[in-house]
Amino acid sequence: MEPSTIHARGLSRHYGSTVALDNVDLTVPAGRIVGLIGPNGAGKTTALKAILGLGKFSGQLEVLGLDPSKHRDQLMEDVCFIADVAVLPRWARVWQIIELTERLHPRFSREQCMKYLARTNIQQRSKVRALSKGMVVQLHLALVMSIDARLLVLDEPTLGLDILFRKQFYTSLLNEYFDEQRTILITTHQVEEVEHILTDLIFIKGGRLVVNSSMDDIYERYTEVMVGPDTVEQARALDPIHERVLFGRHIMLFDNADERALGEIGEIHKPSVADLFVALMGERTDLPEAGGNTA
Amino acid sequence: MNAGVFSRLWILVRREIWESPVAFKWTPVIIAGFILLVAVLLLIIGARVDNEQVFTIDGVRMYAQMDDSQQRMLAAGAMFSVGSLFNQIMFLVVVFYLAGSLYDDRRDRSILFWKSLPVSDRMTVTSKILTAAVAAPILYFGGIALIQLSLLLIASGYGLMAGIDIFGEVWLPANLPKVWTVTLVGSLVQSLWLLPIYAWLLFCSSWAPRLPILIAVLVPILIGMFQHFWSFFSNFRLPDFNLLLVILERIGRGVMPASIEWEQVVTESQDGSSFVPSEEMLMSFKSIGNALASWEMWIGVAIGLLFLAGSVWFRRRSTDS
Repeated sequence: MEPSTIHARGLSRHYGSTVALDNVDLTVPAGRIVGLIGPNGAGKTTALKAILGLGKFSGQLEVLGLDPSKHRDQLMEDVCFIADVAVLPRWARVWQIIELTERLHPRFSREQCMKYLARTNIQQRSKVRALSKGMVVQLHLALVMSIDARLLVLDEPTLGLDILFRKQFYTSLLNEYFDEQRTILITTHQVEEVEHILTDLIFIKGGRLVVNSSMDDIYERYTEVMVGPDTVEQARALDPIHERVLFGRHIMLFDNADERALGEIGEIHKPSVADLFVALMGERTDLPEAGGNTA
Repeated sequence: MNAGVFSRLWILVRREIWESPVAFKWTPVIIAGFILLVAVLLLIIGARVDNEQVFTIDGVRMYAQMDDSQQRMLAAGAMFSVGSLFNQIMFLVVVFYLAGSLYDDRRDRSILFWKSLPVSDRMTVTSKILTAAVAAPILYFGGIALIQLSLLLIASGYGLMAGIDIFGEVWLPANLPKVWTVTLVGSLVQSLWLLPIYAWLLFCSSWAPRLPILIAVLVPILIGMFQHFWSFFSNFRLPDFNLLLVILERIGRGVMPASIEWEQVVTESQDGSSFVPSEEMLMSFKSIGNALASWEMWIGVAIGLLFLAGSVWFRRRSTDS
């Protein structure tokens, strides 16, 4: 059997007395698109850095069968990485970055890259400094999509981009890059944009994984019900894990509840990842919040 | 080592030159242009003041009358003084380049891009030191060769006007093949001589939280001053070994063509009155060979390699934060 793309056991990292990663076990098989979602300071970046061989960690970690802390250079032949927009060297010209990547990356296809760049307004002679934020991301994406890698790590890849660029970014990734051989690991705060492409969801909080399962299992497990004022008490009796009020209707989230019973007291929905996030990661409140809370 | 390693180092060194075109490409061109401009201006002003052309045409004639060894000495002197200006400016450029080399990409976070390439940290550090110690001297040598040719062409022009044999009296004494070989080999040996200093700068840039150049300069100064004052408090004697003086001596002494062979001047003068200045003082393979054979050279190289290993260690652990 093909070894899993990422395999971690007891992955930990401490910064002084703060625990950034606390004994994390994680297995990501090939052919998945995993969303790693968590509030600021939850340990997302620490986890990604460990996976990319950019940070120290204790515990056991294998990425594509290699220890990233020892074999980063070898690993990077099969792993691509886009951190938030600003990491391409600002002094470089576009053709220089392409030339460098071509000479240093054994699996880079200049032809592919040119094809992707032809769709943009990016000029070969331009300096990265002179490109807009959106164009820098387009350039980085064109580079990465032209590399035949097995794992793509995206750390807030669309931060600060307008909605057109963001949509285009994920559409290109999904339609032209992703296949069963590849794995994509995404962290982002803009959950709504990725939830439709994710196959797996990981919630991380305080260095621990709160949720780690496939989207199918999540939809199986969690149910959202919208109830009118008259059945609120009845619904509350079934012990929702979260409740919010929207236009006078109460929206409650249930974990492993009996769908038939819920169907009798209100309308059943698939919960959105954003609502799940708020329900599972926010402080649990028994009182309904005053304002509507939609994401 | 295989062919792959060399081609990767080659593109990484080109990367460094792309990043600092002013330091490595334009500075030698600018120095060459400056020297040429000064020479031409002097000749123009000279021609206006000196109507009889005593200092130019007559000067050339006088030079043509000298014996061969004096001609060689003057020609070598001219070639050397031009080259040493390049070398001194290059040293400053390289100092600033190295201090920023492993620091700037940490500061602007582009280290995340560089580390996403399949390039080991050892390879990265090697490419930086090769840029400073090999690529820079070669590029600056280009500037030196260019300006030496231009000056010899100008001299030939005046030689023709003065009606002297320009091949025999100008180009032959200048001996460009020897000058160029000594200059090139000498600057590479000079790089080896300065390796501990270069590697120290690179080392500082691999870990300094900010202002690596300041840290790189202040640390030896403070240690040297501490040694100095401590020796007064402890035994009222100057220390035999002061770090700061050792470093200054290393920078100051250098190897040809960055420096004159002072030792030869000093020893030969002490022998008696036999010392005659000659081109050997400025351009000789012997002093390069002596530098390579000295124990100070190889102690310096060993210290340099230690700092380079330290740079790789820190580079492996550094990210954007």
